[in-house]
Amino acid sequence: MNGTPPQHRRRQRAAWVAIIVSALALLLFGTVRDTGPLTQQDRIDSVTKRIACPTCDGESVYVSRASAAESIRAEVARQVGDGVRTDDEIVAYVAERFGGQVLLVPRATGLDALVWILPPLVTAALLGALWLAFRRWRAPSVATTTRRPLLVALALVVVVGVGGGVLVARQSGQRLPLQTLTGGIEDSTASLLAQARLASGTDVASAIELYDRVLATDPDNVEAITYRAWLVMLSARQFDEDLQRQAYGASVAAFGRALELEPSYADALCFLGIVVFRDGGDAESSREFLTRCLAGAPPAEVKGLVESLLVEVEAALD
Amino acid sequence: MKAARLGALISALVLAALVAVLVVSDGESDIGARSPLLGQPAPAVNTTTIDDQTFDLARRKGSWVVLNFFNSTCVPCIAEHPTLVEFARGESTRADGVELYTVVNDDADAAVRDFFAANGGDWPKLRDADGAIAVAFGVAKVPETWIIDPNGFVRLRIIGQLAGGVLESQMTRLREASSS
Repeated sequence: MNGTPPQHRRRQRAAWVAIIVSALALLLFGTVRDTGPLTQQDRIDSVTKRIACPTCDGESVYVSRASAAESIRAEVARQVGDGVRTDDEIVAYVAERFGGQVLLVPRATGLDALVWILPPLVTAALLGALWLAFRRWRAPSVATTTRRPLLVALALVVVVGVGGGVLVARQSGQRLPLQTLTGGIEDSTASLLAQARLASGTDVASAIELYDRVLATDPDNVEAITYRAWLVMLSARQFDEDLQRQAYGASVAAFGRALELEPSYADALCFLGIVVFRDGGDAESSREFLTRCLAGAPPAEVKGLVESLLVEVEAALD
Repeated sequence: MKAARLGALISALVLAALVAVLVVSDGESDIGARSPLLGQPAPAVNTTTIDDQTFDLARRKGSWVVLNFFNSTCVPCIAEHPTLVEFARGESTRADGVELYTVVNDDADAAVRDFFAANGGDWPKLRDADGAIAVAFGVAKVPETWIIDPNGFVRLRIIGQLAGGVLESQMTRLREASSS
């Protein structure tokens, strides 16, 4: 071996480098390549193969016939049919609901990432150890007298192993729901509506702004139309009569629009009944709206208010 | 000798790290189970009752809502039923009483009707024919009970059979927390 000419050895090294680079390039290409469009059934199969049945051991939703797996399969089919979410987002939706343990392909973050990082790290360590062993056999005196090659090899193993692991994890690991670039649950209409309700007790201006945000994307959102109008009317009561009149007209129109969209919406009927009596002085119409509201099983918060007002309205009519 | 010391040191560090993880990690000592939905707006639930009435969870804002996932053949569901009947009776006397709903999981309408006729409970029973509600809440096995506040936020998840008085005490706690 020691008798090999340096030129030949250089050529040998270049060949090895070429082989390793080609292998890495192929591996990279294989991981990131786009397999092209799939049929809907292909997509459903591919997604359900990535999700574990939450009630059975070692079965994917694709193969399991358990009730929970059937439900998940139906949900995946529905979401694929809707065509709104990508495969990754559908998997993330299920994982968000059932927990990360249903992911057959582990995530690329947190402790799960170790699944991806450890194998390349161990491989790199083994290769490093082999390389060191070969070096010792070839030049035992060098290996025993200096520690520098050992430290360099250790550093290389750590860098190559962790770097490789992170690369593999990023390419292959599942994305968490909130890691999507298209916005998460905090931006959804349901979330904005819930935030608006929360704010309405303490910060009416913020609540109205949140309802405006909902209406900007969903102009027919009945809840936003109704509660925005209700808050506007409540706020206007502390200002002059002119402003109150304007707010009254706008609120009644808004409740009317909500009821046009959803005639049985109890909350809109209740608020309309309250407003036409308190701000419009029309007991007759108020009684009709309040009665219809109570017949529509309003939520507890509104029901108490309406029941006590109805007594007042009846008294005014008598 | 040095190598032995180094090995011992590394082992001690790994052990300390494991102990730290165990100490820091969130235990399951509370009655409520974990879910990413806790503190988040409740998922949309649009369905019908077994009596063919429409139901939209978003329209129940303004009330506390309890959803109980149920199957008439599940033993813990049967065992916890008197607890639910008692809870519903107590809540019906309150002005801000909880709205209790049964979410029928993988069961026939007729079987559910028969069960309630025999065991009591006049609250609405929601259909979940394709399991969409169960998936939206991450329910894999019944019974499971969820509490949603009047603003539409998920507040509590209880997995498994309800012990007597648990719902009452949890509702007292949640009502106090929301009014403070």
